[in-house]
Amino acid sequence: MDQLIALFGGFGGALSPMNLLWVVVGCLLGTAVGVVPGLGSSMAVALLLPLTFALDPTGAFIMFAGVYFGGLFGDSTMAILMNTPGQGSAIASTFEGHAMAKSGRAPQALATAAIGAFVGGMIASTVVVFLAPKLADLSAEFGPAEYLALALFAFVATSSIVADSAVKGLASLVLGLGIACVGIDSFTGTERFTMGVPEMFDGISIVTVTVAILALGEVFHVAARIRRDPEGHEMRLSGRPFLSRAEFREALPAWLRGTAIGLPFGIIPVGGSEVPTFMAYDVERRLDRRRPDPQFGRGAIRGLAGPEAAGNSTTGMAMGALLALGLPVSSTAAIMLAAFQQYGLQPGPLLFTRAADLVWALLASFFIAMIVLLALNLPFASLWAKLLLIPRPYLYAGIMVFCGLGVYATAGQPFDLFLLLGLALVGFAMRRHDVPLAPLMIGLVLGPLFETSLRDGLLSSDGDYGVFVAHPIPVIIYLGLLVVLAFVVRAKLRARASHDL
Amino acid sequence: MSTSSTPEPHGPTAGGTGDQDPARASDRPPSGSQTPGRWGFFTGRSGLVIPLLLAAFATYLVVGNLTMSIPKGADFPGPTFFPWFLAAVAYVLAALLVVHYLRHPEVPAETSGRTYTTFSDWRAIAWCVGGFAAFAVLLEVLGWVLAAGLLFWCVARGIGSRRAVFDLVLGLVVSSLIYLTFGIGLGLPLPSGVFGLFAGGN
Repeated sequence: MDQLIALFGGFGGALSPMNLLWVVVGCLLGTAVGVVPGLGSSMAVALLLPLTFALDPTGAFIMFAGVYFGGLFGDSTMAILMNTPGQGSAIASTFEGHAMAKSGRAPQALATAAIGAFVGGMIASTVVVFLAPKLADLSAEFGPAEYLALALFAFVATSSIVADSAVKGLASLVLGLGIACVGIDSFTGTERFTMGVPEMFDGISIVTVTVAILALGEVFHVAARIRRDPEGHEMRLSGRPFLSRAEFREALPAWLRGTAIGLPFGIIPVGGSEVPTFMAYDVERRLDRRRPDPQFGRGAIRGLAGPEAAGNSTTGMAMGALLALGLPVSSTAAIMLAAFQQYGLQPGPLLFTRAADLVWALLASFFIAMIVLLALNLPFASLWAKLLLIPRPYLYAGIMVFCGLGVYATAGQPFDLFLLLGLALVGFAMRRHDVPLAPLMIGLVLGPLFETSLRDGLLSSDGDYGVFVAHPIPVIIYLGLLVVLAFVVRAKLRARASHDL
Repeated sequence: MSTSSTPEPHGPTAGGTGDQDPARASDRPPSGSQTPGRWGFFTGRSGLVIPLLLAAFATYLVVGNLTMSIPKGADFPGPTFFPWFLAAVAYVLAALLVVHYLRHPEVPAETSGRTYTTFSDWRAIAWCVGGFAAFAVLLEVLGWVLAAGLLFWCVARGIGSRRAVFDLVLGLVVSSLIYLTFGIGLGLPLPSGVFGLFAGGN
């Protein structure tokens, strides 16, 4: 019950006119960026991250909640209408969603996606409210060994699951970990890899790297391809995006199943909601095959409802894991973590006691953001597609200008602009050659935690590595990691076998 | 697979399976002299830039580690401990990636109707990168409004807009609007540059 009282307090904070305005602005901006082809929700957060430094922390995070979830709604709108998922998590929605749109049921598809995202997000937020404080209590006992195990889990899972080849994933991870090493060493005060440049003493800002990798590099990629790829076809929309009672009843079980599949992946660090959305899609397809009249392939409403709910429930839970454990499980969560750190706040067990007002207002704003987004997306989804009428050159030119604005405003020095450009070229090369970017982000954000835990543990045990498996929790995490790896290897072998046929 | 690892003198184009053969790595033709320009050794192997990058980064870490001035009496896992580990892993991964890209050159999905020779549109990228570099250099000299307007113009041009004057006006409008909203409205420190000279009185 304590949680409910705290949550109501949070609503009190979040429902002030100013904060309400930030939620709505965040939802609008997030959806807008998510709708733009090639840009996903993590880019929405990355681009808008620096702009919130003019706000107080509560207002900023409330706006982030809107941007974050809004980006997800925008991703799936584009996945359905144009078959261009803005982010890996929206890929599973393209299969049946776009098929629905092609068969003239685009409004119903958009409604299914919006309600699915709403259901998944709402349930996840409710679970977070009750679970996060318990998680925080649990993690208050975590020491270096536990954090090392969690970080290692995130590293290995992200780079092996998301990547098509584990080597590419690990390469990306190592780059991120290496970038995180730059700056003054917190143990000994030694300058590391700064080349004596004073601007690098504090390390390379996560904001700079994020904008470079996810935004600027992405624009370079778009520029490199824009005259190469055929243009996507926009589906014509007719009718209002509402579901009939029969359609609603059809989709409801898939929404709930998708939510259930998505929830655990918010805490298991496997690199975001790509895995659960595909799992939800797969479950619905298997169930569909047993029915007398299989719908899949022709625009099955369940094949869209499941992944959408799964994606948003993972995202909601991921926010809970971030707040309670300080552990980002996706690149978007990693950027949110960076935002907390910019304000001098460290997510994790202590956040619930030190900044309780902020945490509960943020959790309350999740619920508000969900309702605002449903209101914005259900009736107006077709209006969002009109954003595509902005000529591409001006769209991407504007995004470049915003990248420059954000990084200069946070760093306050032109040096970071050059750093931004260099890193963006690295990001572009990686994007071009199918090296996943998520492991780099995870490595960058969790690198310091990993290194600190490793050295802390070794210092206290005089170099004895046994200290990392001396307690039950790390051992359980490592066993979980082995199970995940076994699954990955099995899936890869199977894919290879079916590929040969 | 192949038993002949010695470099052979160049005959006619390599036979059917030669493409996948790692041994081919050893006979590196001076690019484009034997084969008609488009199908040199590096065709489809531009991915080698990734291991190159990784190896360069690892080398940076090694050099940084060797030149680091570590305070005396630092205990065992010192500041170089983790970077050494990273550098070693990075070299191994770079080697694996080189093998990967040599064995699996990228084959263009379909070549019919292609009017371009390179996969990436380098002209467009040059406009975007050049525009951003100019922006970074000129920002504090020209001020936000002019530098950002110029950046907007370069990117719009690179991505394919052909209305030079209109783009310039639009760019300046966008940059001015941002200056008003974020610089003056929200108080972000954006340089006023040359405009600051005119308004210098205040």
